[in-house]
Amino acid sequence: MAKYAMLVDAGRCTGCGACRIACQMQWQLPPEIAYNRLEHREKGTYPKVKWETTPVQCQHCDNPPCLHVCPTGATYKRSDGIVLIDHKKCIGCKYCMVACPYGARTLDHEKMVPEKCRFCADYVVKGQQPPCVSTCMNEVRVFGDVEDPSSKISQLLAGESVYQLLPERGTQPRIYYVKR
Amino acid sequence: MPKFSRRTFLKMATAAGAIGSMPVYLNRNKLLEAAEEATIEKVPTLCNGCSNMCGMFVHVKNGRVWKAEGHPIHLKSRGKLCARGHGTVADIYNPNRVTQPMKRVGEGQFEPITWEQAFQEIGQKLMKIVDVYGGNSVVWMEHGTRGKQYADILLDYIGSPNYITHYATCFTSKTNVWPKMVGTTLYGDHENADYMLFVGRNFAGGIIPNGMNKVLKAKERGAKLVVVDPRHCELAIQADEWIPIRPGTDLAFFLALAHVLITEKLYDVQFVRQYVSGFDEFWQANKNCTPEWAEKITSVPADKIREIAREMAAKAPRAFLETGYHGLNAHYQNSVQQAQANVVINALLGNMFKVGGLLPAASLELGQLDKPVPPAKEKGPRVDGAGEEGPYATVEPGRGIPQLVPKLVEEGKVKAVFIYHYNPLRTGPDPEYQKKMKDAELVVSIPIDWNETSYHTAHYILPESFFLERMETPVNVNGHITHLSPQVAYRAKVVDPVHNTKSLLEIMQGLAKEIGAAEYFNFTVEEEAEAMVAPLGITMAELRKAGCLEFPPTVKPGFPLSAMGKPSLATPSGKVEFSVGVYKANGFSGVPRWVPPKVMPEKENEFRLIHGKQPWHSHHITSNNRYLMAISETYNGTWAWMNSQRAKQLGIKNGDTVTIASELAQKQVQVKVTELLHPDCIWLPSAYGGFSPKAEVAYGVGVNYNDFLPVQVEPIAGSVMGQEVIVTVRKGVN
Repeated sequence: MAKYAMLVDAGRCTGCGACRIACQMQWQLPPEIAYNRLEHREKGTYPKVKWETTPVQCQHCDNPPCLHVCPTGATYKRSDGIVLIDHKKCIGCKYCMVACPYGARTLDHEKMVPEKCRFCADYVVKGQQPPCVSTCMNEVRVFGDVEDPSSKISQLLAGESVYQLLPERGTQPRIYYVKR
Repeated sequence: MPKFSRRTFLKMATAAGAIGSMPVYLNRNKLLEAAEEATIEKVPTLCNGCSNMCGMFVHVKNGRVWKAEGHPIHLKSRGKLCARGHGTVADIYNPNRVTQPMKRVGEGQFEPITWEQAFQEIGQKLMKIVDVYGGNSVVWMEHGTRGKQYADILLDYIGSPNYITHYATCFTSKTNVWPKMVGTTLYGDHENADYMLFVGRNFAGGIIPNGMNKVLKAKERGAKLVVVDPRHCELAIQADEWIPIRPGTDLAFFLALAHVLITEKLYDVQFVRQYVSGFDEFWQANKNCTPEWAEKITSVPADKIREIAREMAAKAPRAFLETGYHGLNAHYQNSVQQAQANVVINALLGNMFKVGGLLPAASLELGQLDKPVPPAKEKGPRVDGAGEEGPYATVEPGRGIPQLVPKLVEEGKVKAVFIYHYNPLRTGPDPEYQKKMKDAELVVSIPIDWNETSYHTAHYILPESFFLERMETPVNVNGHITHLSPQVAYRAKVVDPVHNTKSLLEIMQGLAKEIGAAEYFNFTVEEEAEAMVAPLGITMAELRKAGCLEFPPTVKPGFPLSAMGKPSLATPSGKVEFSVGVYKANGFSGVPRWVPPKVMPEKENEFRLIHGKQPWHSHHITSNNRYLMAISETYNGTWAWMNSQRAKQLGIKNGDTVTIASELAQKQVQVKVTELLHPDCIWLPSAYGGFSPKAEVAYGVGVNYNDFLPVQVEPIAGSVMGQEVIVTVRKGVN
């Protein structure tokens, strides 16, 4: 059984936004709805200063707070690790938006569903890469099956020192970030 | 809205298809459902999000464009696309496109007309103008150079020499200098370099996806990347070091680098002896340009300049000063000299024609369709004076001086203006001045959307089909990044035109028919393309399938030598010429020497206004794209950047609205207070300030540096000197 995860090397990101629009086109989202975003930070003072960019999206947590608060079971987790939303069950209560510590949910006003990154569930099972991964000129993201020891992500995770966002929340994200 | 079942919707879509158009504004959920079941066609073509023309595959479902992905072979994209590439395909359904020919009937008022009426009226007016005022009164302006092959036929037919590109606002100093000093243009071999110095060139802003990929590959190998720029640009995020420099003084930095290389005997003496002429003249002119001298001018510490020169020399020839693009080459009074100094530094490093240094572009000689040419007509001197005896003798005539056109209209020297895929009202200096173009007797704009130039000046608007709706002739894939093997690709038609638009060739054919020139446009783009690829031993059917084909290597590293073993560059001496004879003959210095910027900020509230590309916009041309503008919205992309210390002195806080003023204009904008900018300047992204009410997404969003910039002509290359402007900044709106 595949277990999907993502490794993000934020230090390689130069903030071009290709991942955002590639995702919007993939899922035919309207311009104002984005499933991923960048956190920009300035560190230091002129002229000794660094500009850091960190890509953030749904972390596909193994202990997802959004799932726990969902009153109708619309949010569910697949056995391959991907967290998804069943639109038919969603009543638009937005508890999940409040519960997510990563601010990963965004309200689709037309559907009245708090949407988010789907780890390109329909596509990755066919062996395709999510476009946020494949289009990135800086190769910031690596996506794959961590149960397969020969996958690129498994090999990288074995060698890289990584961290996760907000580990103190106990969410157990499936997105890892390269420590630099 | 009534509820549709999926099945009803599909039926509706089919019915609508039968009458020739797809309902664009149906409920999105229904469209998504319908799309799920569709078969997908993947068509290779070339992107139009900027002018790099990356290879892409466009996915089409039910005849509707879905999404794009990078072409895996194409040198520029290599499977990747930037935000512009993904966003720009959506513009095919942008409601602000010009959907059929338009005729101006008043201020901001247009009436739709047929193509036949447009061609008849334009043809009659054009020929009358040519009869009365001569061919020289007609100009063709375009971004350059995709329309040139057809514009040239028209201009030859009517006897006009006036083909003008946008280059004066872009890289014109570089393209003026390199052919004269090196006989060609060379590009950084990023992937194989050990030291890359980027000055005023943001590879992560003006993006070639595979270019950034190559830079990061080099870094993974341990190469050093140093970025010198007044702004901590996006590329600097990847740099080992960002060195802020006082804007306009990059030339002094270069001259001091050369000084260190020469005085410390770090330069490649053998390369200079064998392949350089004019070294002594350069040194005599610049031997006082010490790092200490440069520190005072540039604000870069002298020791840092020494360190860079020494480290580069240690890594040479696998070290280069990036040869640049828009940044620096149209910006200052000393832009030409800095482009010359760029050549000098690289030659001193002995990196030319070497792996890991600078290499020429790989290209193949394409064929040409045999077709009748108009009888030779005598053409007068160019109306803008580019390359003619007079003040602009050294300006390249193939590029021209677009910023002079409104003045030439005012003076009655230009009577007819054709503007193709170009928007000088927004991308040229001083928009109010640019509006004078409307006073010509005939102004024809050939755009995709309702850009400022079309809305405010055009008498006729002839909408070109979107890039996914038309085919263009094959091109060599090269420039800015290196590859030993040439590639050929072409822009294929992906879907049928959504609106009543035409390709440029079809537009020219329609016009030609009215002016008696039909026989010179009596060919199809398919015939042209087939003739072009014939010498390569391939057919268009093969290229159509692949989208991009690669051929055996043509670039062999090594300095070009004649059969006799003599240097054989296309320069008078065959060597790299530090002193340009043509410049000297026209009263300029042959070698680069220090020229200060034209203007400098002095008072507490004065700043130099500088600008740059945001990574998700191609200057202003993408500013009416809803997806790209949504990124601007998310990240406060329209804000002007100001150094935190200067902001503090002026009492300005992050997010405050300020008034920026020059002698031309006074405008309000919000401010990002930052550590990422040199204190002497204020930085504006070049994407904003739309003022065409019919380009609704861009309209009224942000401000543009051109609002504040007076019309100027740099005397050697003809650039607009886009950063030679001082503005005052004060808090508040009054």
